[in-house]
Amino acid sequence: MKLTVRYVAALRDRMGRAEADLDLPEGIADSEALIGHLRAAEPAAEALSHPSVRLILNDAIVPRPAPLSDGDTLAFCPPFTGG
Amino acid sequence: MADITIEILHESLDPAAETGALAGRDASAGGLATFVGQVRDEPGLKALELEYYPGVTKQALQRIAQTAARRWMIARAVIKHRVGRMTLGEPIVFVAAAAAHRREALDAVGYMIDMLKTEAPFWKRVHTDTGAHWVEAVDADRDAADFWMEEIASEDA
Repeated sequence: MKLTVRYVAALRDRMGRAEADLDLPEGIADSEALIGHLRAAEPAAEALSHPSVRLILNDAIVPRPAPLSDGDTLAFCPPFTGG
Repeated sequence: MADITIEILHESLDPAAETGALAGRDASAGGLATFVGQVRDEPGLKALELEYYPGVTKQALQRIAQTAARRWMIARAVIKHRVGRMTLGEPIVFVAAAAAHRREALDAVGYMIDMLKTEAPFWKRVHTDTGAHWVEAVDADRDAADFWMEEIASEDA
């Protein structure tokens, strides 16, 4: 499954990049499985598992866990701080 | 049905002009409530930078204003939010509601600004003399949003 992940704001700093195109092995069906996969590859990804992290899947803010499909773009966002 | 205006502004936001444009505009409105958020001083502050998520942030603001218009009898709702770099005292956000009576207008504005803080994708970064840091979310904002969600749930019940 191909997936684009984005890291926003403080998580972009933490991960050291804004975006990555991933080719995932079979069996990664949702955001939480994806976080587990990313954590195995790099310890910095532990920050993504924090309960305060919000998800934007394609063009919508979605709750966790978010089911993933081929071609999706998933953004990991720190808590919002506008206003 | 309330008239809703949502804008994300990259350049400047003029609360006086925004308020002036709304004053007296809605014949049914006996009250116009406004809120302006602005850049607050903190030690060493040079600038505040606001980041957003194109394609999603505006839609989130729209949803917040629509919910306010369903819950309160308002003729008009406006949310205008800056992004980019701002300096001390500069306006960040303008929220307004016009309604027949003050309570509806005031509560609708309170709801919109409180929900916006936790439900619209914006991120603040403070630039200081010594570097830059991302602003952390605060529990008080979460509590304010929870208050309104319970308020709306109790109305619907």
